[in-house]
Amino acid sequence: MDDEDQQHRQAEGDEPLSLEQRRAARLTAICFVVAILAGVALFVVYFTGGQTQLEGILFALALGGLGIGIVIWGEQLLAAHEVEEDRHEFTVGEESRLALVESFEEETGPLLRHGARRSFLVRLLGGAAGALGLALLLPALSLGPSPGRGLAHTSWRKGRRVVGEDGKPIVFDSLPEDGFLTVFPEGADVNRADSQALLIRVPNGLLELSEEQLAGVPGGTHVAYSKICSHAGCPVGLYRAATRSLICPCHQSQFDVLRGCKPYFGPAARPLPQLPLGVDRDGNLVALGDFSGPVGPAFWHRVKRGRSS
Amino acid sequence: MSMVRRSVQYLDERLGTASFARKTLRKVFPDHWSFLLGEIALFALVVLVFTGVFLTFFYTPDARPTIYQGPYEPMQGKEVSAAYESVLRLSFQVRSGLLMRQVHHWAALVFVAAVVVHLCRIFFTGAFRRPREVNWLVGVALLLLAMGEGFTGYSLPDDLLSGIGLRIFYSVVLAIPLVGSWAAYLLFGGEFPAPDIISRLFVFHVMLLPALLLGLVGLHLVILVLQKHTQFPGRGRTERNVVGKRLWPQQTFKSVGLLFVTTAMLAALGGLAQINPIWQYGPYVPFNVTSPAQPDWYIGWLDGALRLAGPWSFDVFGFPVSEMFWPAILFPGIAFGTLTLWPWIERRFNRDQAEHHLLDRPRDAPLRSAVGMAGLWVFFVMFLEGGNDILAVMLNVSVENITRILQAAFVVGPFVVGAATYAICRSLRKSQIHPARATAGVELRRTASGGYETVPLEPTSSE
Amino acid sequence: MAAYGAWSPKEGIVRRTLVPLAAVGLLTVLLWPATGGAAAPGSRRAATAGQDPDAFGRQLYQQSCASCHGPDPAGPSNYSTVPSLKDVGGAAAVDWALRSGRMPWRSTTGPAVRGTPAFDLSETRALSIYVGDRVGDRDIPTVDPSQGDLKRGRDLYAQACAACHGMNGAGSSVGGTDIAPSLQGVDALTVGEAMKIGPRTMPVFRGGEYDAAGVNSIAAYTDTLDKNVDNPGGLPIGGKGPVPEGFVAWLIGLGVLVLFARMIGGRN
Repeated sequence: MDDEDQQHRQAEGDEPLSLEQRRAARLTAICFVVAILAGVALFVVYFTGGQTQLEGILFALALGGLGIGIVIWGEQLLAAHEVEEDRHEFTVGEESRLALVESFEEETGPLLRHGARRSFLVRLLGGAAGALGLALLLPALSLGPSPGRGLAHTSWRKGRRVVGEDGKPIVFDSLPEDGFLTVFPEGADVNRADSQALLIRVPNGLLELSEEQLAGVPGGTHVAYSKICSHAGCPVGLYRAATRSLICPCHQSQFDVLRGCKPYFGPAARPLPQLPLGVDRDGNLVALGDFSGPVGPAFWHRVKRGRSS
Repeated sequence: MSMVRRSVQYLDERLGTASFARKTLRKVFPDHWSFLLGEIALFALVVLVFTGVFLTFFYTPDARPTIYQGPYEPMQGKEVSAAYESVLRLSFQVRSGLLMRQVHHWAALVFVAAVVVHLCRIFFTGAFRRPREVNWLVGVALLLLAMGEGFTGYSLPDDLLSGIGLRIFYSVVLAIPLVGSWAAYLLFGGEFPAPDIISRLFVFHVMLLPALLLGLVGLHLVILVLQKHTQFPGRGRTERNVVGKRLWPQQTFKSVGLLFVTTAMLAALGGLAQINPIWQYGPYVPFNVTSPAQPDWYIGWLDGALRLAGPWSFDVFGFPVSEMFWPAILFPGIAFGTLTLWPWIERRFNRDQAEHHLLDRPRDAPLRSAVGMAGLWVFFVMFLEGGNDILAVMLNVSVENITRILQAAFVVGPFVVGAATYAICRSLRKSQIHPARATAGVELRRTASGGYETVPLEPTSSE
Repeated sequence: MAAYGAWSPKEGIVRRTLVPLAAVGLLTVLLWPATGGAAAPGSRRAATAGQDPDAFGRQLYQQSCASCHGPDPAGPSNYSTVPSLKDVGGAAAVDWALRSGRMPWRSTTGPAVRGTPAFDLSETRALSIYVGDRVGDRDIPTVDPSQGDLKRGRDLYAQACAACHGMNGAGSSVGGTDIAPSLQGVDALTVGEAMKIGPRTMPVFRGGEYDAAGVNSIAAYTDTLDKNVDNPGGLPIGGKGPVPEGFVAWLIGLGVLVLFARMIGGRN
């Protein structure tokens, strides 16, 4: 018997369903019942306070029951044959294209007809549109200030005391050996990201720095560097005390603390700039100036002579 | 009169839709399972929109500080941004809030994954060939928009992990030669951490990108319907017909079923698998960091590229160019540029200007498949490197060695994978009778030396 | 053609002996690491009533530790790769290493990892005090999380600990093959001891913000890392962030859906 004919008769209720189809219908019904029950249960769960895992499972059952039931219904209980359709040309061919171009060109007066005058006007039109277009972009420049010198400087100044996150000044010798601390300039808003520095105490005699660098290391033990990675700006928070190196967790750049935080592995290309430290009259640690170079990742700028970048 | 009859009459009297609707319902769509991958992406997008609207009612797009006073004890009394506080409130104090948040985030991950798998199907079967180049461009744009939506979305809660990602994004923009610092200040509203960025990301995530995304999805589908779907070669299938099942009822039941099963899977994940527990990460504080630190997977390739590249910074007339130029600007430019222009790149090599509605099997285009697999390998290596510290712990190998191995894999691998793919494609073609041609059988011939040999007969049809 | 799998009687005997031998060999290879190459831990002899605790400590030390760390804790060790106990942190270091099962070192390669403690509490105490006396650092910190401020602890943890151990305490790699271990479920005393001694690659956190109150607060926070309240979203999938989440999204999320599509779609 013809497939479509059989389907038609079944739809009208004349033809009995095959065993497979009856099984499919039963399965579909079960799926929908599961969906209904899950839906009702969701009401109960929600109005008794809700619970994330239960809600997730019940929604999954309700939606899944619906979905699987529909799929089984579609697969088993509908016509399964394939049909063919012509892929008629949707581009209607050369004639209609010409007609389109013609209708674009017709009804045009002398100023629009193709020629030198039209080209001249069209070019001027282009110029006007371009100027306007660029001008329309101008308000977008209000989205941000010009960079200025902000990227090259932080809030550290000569004489500014070194404080911890709680704002208390750090006394020289209070940090244990092989200890480290995140420090900020006193007075600056602690959230000022660019001033964050790491104070590390290393055992005496291990640092391999130049004379100029060592001048900023009180006692030859207390050294401070910018905490902002010179690669992509993440805080370089991992201190490996055993090897006296800093690791940035973002891209695994590794810096040698004993040698001026020079990078020895990973993508970072520049050392972390050093914060030169001194000790004031009361024994507190103070900065002797700003960092030895711009903090953070590289950016296009004119490099000042004498400042490492 | 039945319900169907009454609705049809009502609408047709007012909108004249009957004949259009009939034509549409009777449209034939080929039935291969791989044609459903794009639908999975579409349905994940539906979930994203629905859950996203819900989240928008509860989210505060403001980085201004406020005091947290909710039930999560370790954070009580702490000063956090209003954005972070609103997401905490949604997670802990709004019924079904955490479920919706998690479903939304899982849907985002699955959405981009489905787009990528769908793109691979299009690529490896040559479905981008004429006349479908425009739709290919729309598709690549959709992939980029999807990644942008994801990035802006997971940065909205202003938590520590996504804040670190924003800092990296700022640095990447800074690294653009010439205009980097201007662009970064413009985009963010100043020096990092510019608090304006949260509200701006919100505008992108909820207004600009969805408008583009949904508009392009619409265009994508309209072009598909206009041009009719491609099909694999086989019995009765030619370049001039479409063989498959009708939109109504077969394809409708299949697609609707898939829609519900997709949402069911996302609901299950959203309820059972915790994702992005921002209360654990805490609010973004510029001098804090957590480890391991990775972005969502669809940005993970970029993170991996940044880890994989070496310290190759350079100077241009004394102006420094960051070492990030190679992995974050040059590499994505080349990779996505190649992807975008692939239909034309391929045409340059095989000079195939003809219209194609029959698909290639991957083995039928060995060069394309080889390049595709090499490209996938490159991205796979990047993903692995993005998790290099996690891999190091799992495999008990040093992080440094993981990086060195993957650097070698990045350099050597594409050639090896490409050559192997090419060879496999060629040998598959040789060893099997091409399913595209209707087999005309084999001929038994007597050789000159007296033995017998079988020769496949050439098919008579031209396709 | 002879059927595959047909064995002649001679081959049968060979097979019957080879297979069990191979099985034994395989089991040996698989279980070898568990036996460990180093000397077995010292015998558990309880302190008899009245035995001098110092003598007990010395006895345990000579039995279990001296072979690597040298006869005198304050003196040099027996191997260049083994640190002397002179400046590892005194009694607190010994207590930390023994209670976490890291010492005695059971393997011969790789970093010392947590394991089942080889000594009970009295033996551990005796050893800690003995070594502490010898090296001049008897102090084992007292850590009481209930005295700490949970919120301040979270802030201190975020500043000092999260970079290596992760904000949720799941741990992470810290370069090379070294790992900052998970802190989920770790007791407060262990946290306090580790901060004081700075074991292996870990820095020292002592004094200033990390005084007794600071340590109590940090311990109060680490105590919360194991509780269910931190995982209301469901299975934490390892707590390592977006990487495992991505795997789940691909393998389970998309994987199941692609399989479903294969079921309902056609094939070539």
